[in-house]
Amino acid sequence: MTYARAPLARRRLQWTAWAFLAPVVIYLGAFYAYPIIRNILMGFQDYTAASFVTGVAPFIGFDNYVAVVTSTMFWPTVLRTAVFVVASLAFQFAIGLALAQFFSRSFRLSALLRSLFLLPWLLPLIVSASTWKWMLDKDYGILNAFLGIFGISPVGWTVDPNISLIAVIIVNIWIGVPFNMVILYGGLQSIPESLYEAAALDGAGAWTTFWRITFPLLRPVTTVVLLLGLIYTLKVFDVIWITTQGGPANSSQTLSTWSYQLSFGPQLQFGLGAAAGNLLIVAAVVFGALYIRAQRKRDAA
Amino acid sequence: MTVKYSKAAGAGLLALAVATTLGLAGCAGGTPSEGGASTALTLWDPYPQFEADSPWSTTLDSCAKDAGVTITREGMDTSSLTSKLLLAAQQKNAPDIAVIDNPLVASVADTGLLASMDDVGIDTSDILPNILAAGNVEGKAFGVPVGSNTLALFYNKTILDEAGITPPTNWDELKADVAAVQAAGHQGIGFSAVGTEEGSFQFLPFFWGSGADLSELDSPEAVEALSLWTDFVSSGGASASVLNSTQADINDQFLAGDLAFQVNGSWQLAGLDAGDVDYGVVPVPGIDGGAAPAPLGGEFFTLPVNADADRQAKAAAVVTCMTDPANAVNWIAGLTYVLPEADAQAEQAKQSPELAAFVDAVAAAKGRTSDLGTEYPRYSEQLWTALQEAVSGAKTPEQALTDAQAAVDAG
Amino acid sequence: MKRSWWRTLIGIVLTAVMLFPLYWMLMVSITPRGELLKTPPTLVPDSVTFEGYAKAINDQLPYLGISLVVALGSVLVTLLFAAPAAYALAKLSPRGGGVVTFGLLVAQMIPGIVMATGFYAIYADLGLLNTLPGLVLADSTLAVPFAILVMRAFMEGIPSELIQAATVDGAGAFRTFRSIILPLSRNAVVTVSLFAFLFAWSDFLFAVILTSSGGPQPFTLGIYHYISNYSKDWNAIMATAVIASVPATILLIVAQRYVAAGITAGAVKD
Repeated sequence: MTYARAPLARRRLQWTAWAFLAPVVIYLGAFYAYPIIRNILMGFQDYTAASFVTGVAPFIGFDNYVAVVTSTMFWPTVLRTAVFVVASLAFQFAIGLALAQFFSRSFRLSALLRSLFLLPWLLPLIVSASTWKWMLDKDYGILNAFLGIFGISPVGWTVDPNISLIAVIIVNIWIGVPFNMVILYGGLQSIPESLYEAAALDGAGAWTTFWRITFPLLRPVTTVVLLLGLIYTLKVFDVIWITTQGGPANSSQTLSTWSYQLSFGPQLQFGLGAAAGNLLIVAAVVFGALYIRAQRKRDAA
Repeated sequence: MTVKYSKAAGAGLLALAVATTLGLAGCAGGTPSEGGASTALTLWDPYPQFEADSPWSTTLDSCAKDAGVTITREGMDTSSLTSKLLLAAQQKNAPDIAVIDNPLVASVADTGLLASMDDVGIDTSDILPNILAAGNVEGKAFGVPVGSNTLALFYNKTILDEAGITPPTNWDELKADVAAVQAAGHQGIGFSAVGTEEGSFQFLPFFWGSGADLSELDSPEAVEALSLWTDFVSSGGASASVLNSTQADINDQFLAGDLAFQVNGSWQLAGLDAGDVDYGVVPVPGIDGGAAPAPLGGEFFTLPVNADADRQAKAAAVVTCMTDPANAVNWIAGLTYVLPEADAQAEQAKQSPELAAFVDAVAAAKGRTSDLGTEYPRYSEQLWTALQEAVSGAKTPEQALTDAQAAVDAG
Repeated sequence: MKRSWWRTLIGIVLTAVMLFPLYWMLMVSITPRGELLKTPPTLVPDSVTFEGYAKAINDQLPYLGISLVVALGSVLVTLLFAAPAAYALAKLSPRGGGVVTFGLLVAQMIPGIVMATGFYAIYADLGLLNTLPGLVLADSTLAVPFAILVMRAFMEGIPSELIQAATVDGAGAFRTFRSIILPLSRNAVVTVSLFAFLFAWSDFLFAVILTSSGGPQPFTLGIYHYISNYSKDWNAIMATAVIASVPATILLIVAQRYVAAGITAGAVKD
């Protein structure tokens, strides 16, 4: 039942809406605006350790950004970041979805097992990343011991520059799967049984049912999960830092770790670090916006 | 359902209120008292493993009492300490005493944060010059050493006896020994080639031991030093994991009993004594014999500049008390560092034979920043990058070091 | 039923594979120092030590208490801010809602270290450094944007007819929110609370920058008592992690029961 709203009522509705929204807007302004504005400014300043003490940080325009972009580290790092993000997201999502699908049919112990999957998130990253670092050790690690059973010679997961990126991706996937699984599970639960029953009556097989019914109806939740996953994965720092510290020889550095190293490494060049960090945020904004637009187009089609 | 929710909400709000009250109460008492019965000083140190009952803490408290103040001590990990020190400096609430790692003293002093020892009236005349030099900027001392440690070559006596070899005195012997141990079925040598200051620290005895100088990273001597390491790794004498292992990790490997040699520091002595390995210590050999100059490690007491002269004077008094050899012996054992005064060192050597080897090493040791001053961090970063590239096989030692020198020149 | 048992078996195997690192963590917590790094590694240590647990129980209980308070407080703050905002964005079509949503996304893109150092300056001025409310607020920023987006997605699925019926009956927006939206969003609230708890529970960065020893420190910092520049007491570290996981696991399992079948559909309109 629709009824025309008088302009006054419409305005009152807007006030109400904003009354509900105001606390969060203030919250956003107070907590997020300041750090990000500070970081943006820092990117334009020659900000060193001395600046903290003396307060002197001259504006140098885009010099920091130029230095970052023309550095020999820049493009390889960008490439590594891209590989890290794409590989992490793809596997986290696929495995998370498979697990969610598996658990969607209730069976004995399913609730308990589902909760246990969130256990990795209970651990501080220093603990989980260090444990993985051990498991991936070339000589003392259990993973190589396991592979050795099949005759595979020890892999230098964290010490071979060609493989270190894969190692941190593996750890990141492990950490990201629970997030994907829980949210996708929620999404799966909201698809009405009746649709599945109808498909079964029509004689559709499991694969067809999945592609024609489940996946399309899951799209809204998929959008949220992938978008947030993209944003979070771009930010990932601790996992890489504790496992390989971006090494060996910078072979697992991403924009996030590199930004940190510029600021807090021996150089203490906070201006450069802020510039690199801002580029990261810009990348996130751009890709986020592109993704949302692509989804809107598909929804409209 | 609605009832349940509001009950939960009510309980929650109550909890939040309690927490807020507690927090505010804590806040009110948290700020250091200006005036009041006695001044409360703050000290930050990188020894989070020391609890309130450790010799470090108790000596600190008694020194504070002697100076007529109370002292609040905060232990945190080194990297957090540097970050927080800078942040605090910005907010103008830096601690009264900060214990920082020696290669950073020059850089931190350069920011203007630290008071020079002359300005606060701390007497540094007894301290051995090579140890004090690490905290010097343009000839002025900006910190007092807590103590020093340095690197030496530990060896597993059991394995060496089994292989019928003696500890090496030069590089040829070292290579031969490692090969012999490998042939006997054990792990050869452990060192840390991580991509941090620790890696550079570990490499320096070999770098300097070859005759190379930090100002010229790509000299032929330097290449030879780096080749020593890369050859160990490629021949299996050292595990590829050295790229990712800290000195703590290497020590754990040594403690496991299968590693014949490790390059590690005096601070490991206490842990090694508690373990099962029958170990010995010799200086890291130079390329043609003799002891290689080893880098000085250890932290410095520093005093951030304080407008309140009285506060600063009290802080200086506490530092003088802590570094007085008579007091220092209380807490230095926990760190197994070498004290920075000649007499005190002699006393330490008498008390502990293993430490005696380190006392000699420290006497011959070099500060990392002594030559390059505030430039050292830049050089060090390129050095460990070169280490990582060469040891991992990504580049040849020559190429890695040439690139390192080029980066330093460019930067 | 036979079919059900097969699934349970596969489920157990999958869970075991996923949680294997936790098993490893457990093993490290009881392995003596000298045995930690031996070749080849074995699934079960040769000798066992409980020193780590003794130390952890002795030292860490106050820290665990703080962690619990901070995490629960963070959940409350998150819900307080997120639920009304999610309702507004989902159902009340505020003008500028799209901008706010975009702002929420951008808010999550800021690297943690940038947030933490920014907070340090704000907190230093406000006197919130080293306080419990300060830490709770900081940890809540980990969850609030995420919570709003997820809750909004779920709330959008609540049929508008229900809301209009309430409006016709004379209920104001707040009444509607309290009596209709919240009860129907129970599953979303629980899901979001779960993540808010987990984010705050495992936070290290805000804790290390915004608190000092003597202040309210969670167990993620307590662990650092066992980590020094020169060595790490792995037994104690892992033992602490194991002990810390127990109460949190119980909370998780209890909460998951509420995330039952029937989470209302959420069409995500950005």
